Amino acid sequence: MAGQFKYGVSLYSYTEDFGSIMTLEDGFDHAADTGATGIEILGETHVECYPEPTSQWLDRWFGLLDQHKLEPTNMCSWVDTKLRLGQQLTVEEGAAELERDLRLAHRLGFKFLRPKFGVIDAQLTPDPIWSGAVERVLDLANTFDIVICPEIHSPTPIRHPAVEGYIDFIERTGTPNFRLLIDTGIFQNRPLKGWQHEVPEGDSDHAKLINGIAVDPEEFLDIAKYVAFIQAKFHYINDDLQCENIPWDKIIPVLKRAGFDGYLSSEYEGAREPWVAIDQVRRQHVMMRRLEAEYDAAHADTAGA
Amino acid sequence: MYEYQLIQATGFRNYGPVEAREGVEVRLRLPNYRGMRLSLLDGVDVTIDGEFFSYEINKLRLHGEVYDLEAMRDATTVRWAVGDFGSVLVPKAGGLAPGIHHVKVAARTRSPYFPPHLQPLPVNGERLATIVLP
Repeated sequence: MAGQFKYGVSLYSYTEDFGSIMTLEDGFDHAADTGATGIEILGETHVECYPEPTSQWLDRWFGLLDQHKLEPTNMCSWVDTKLRLGQQLTVEEGAAELERDLRLAHRLGFKFLRPKFGVIDAQLTPDPIWSGAVERVLDLANTFDIVICPEIHSPTPIRHPAVEGYIDFIERTGTPNFRLLIDTGIFQNRPLKGWQHEVPEGDSDHAKLINGIAVDPEEFLDIAKYVAFIQAKFHYINDDLQCENIPWDKIIPVLKRAGFDGYLSSEYEGAREPWVAIDQVRRQHVMMRRLEAEYDAAHADTAGA
Repeated sequence: MYEYQLIQATGFRNYGPVEAREGVEVRLRLPNYRGMRLSLLDGVDVTIDGEFFSYEINKLRLHGEVYDLEAMRDATTVRWAVGDFGSVLVPKAGGLAPGIHHVKVAARTRSPYFPPHLQPLPVNGERLATIVLP
């Protein structure tokens, strides 16, 4: 059947566990047991001796991929434009950050690289060096067959100058190596309960992050052709397998209608406590698979026609 | 492996000559979910039993090197990785008496992808911790 999702897990989901009660081996075990076929990581978190892992670590990495039959999906990276206090990175320095991570992602077998660019204002406008920096590494990304995909993440909605800028870049360069990554947190339309965020209470972004910016899932259709990867952000799946904050029953049918057949990579970002994420990710996978199956069943006739 | 809390129980100790302690070390896990270059940490505020010690005077020991605030801001090639411990050196002449103390820290972390008015953001920790030796 056309347009089947691929299911993955980001080890970011286990942020509250990793390093204190969870090893890399544990993370792979938990991710694989959901039935996922792909694993997503944060380079600076999950790669020992980043950005130059030892050969022993690389053996461990490829051993785990083999053992658990997981493929590397997306590696998250950062372009720390404010690495120095009060001074921005130059275009060349930004390109060097991207090149460093493209090379690492390629060594580890990733097909997507998500750079998080620094921003310059409260509207979260990415530092203007981003386009020059990306342009300088497009050939390298092409050689490595890696798609660089910046993340559209709450509180930045789909209809935003930053997204327009990324789409203009794709159109202008005609590159196949730059696309969008959508974080499903932008669709959150019900408030988080008892959630701690690093953004202080009272800040204008705090309310957006707690209540959600409630982007209409239908808007995905406007940009679907530019989207390469989806981080399936969620915060809490209750005992009835209902997500309490994000309208998955609206999102999944839209993704299906758009013909999306890439990864839904679980990204749990709920209560900041250890021992919670492992089962939350499992619940989300049941929920997403159910919704996809329901859509497919309802459209079986159309698909076969 | 880290203890779950930001402030680690082990590593909370006096430093300096035994007869003339210079201060107190507070061992932390990485105050971020991702490894970071040290220049993204803009010092650490510490409060011990209600006494405040500013990020401007506290130093940090990482991988055996000691950084004051200026050195930290210049450390654009030093990485504090997941799994590494960092110890905040709090200048408190005489150190602390053995026993249980109330410790609070705010690790001032800069995330360039956060809006400018939210940089740095404090990563906070608070706990009771035990000094074993004088």
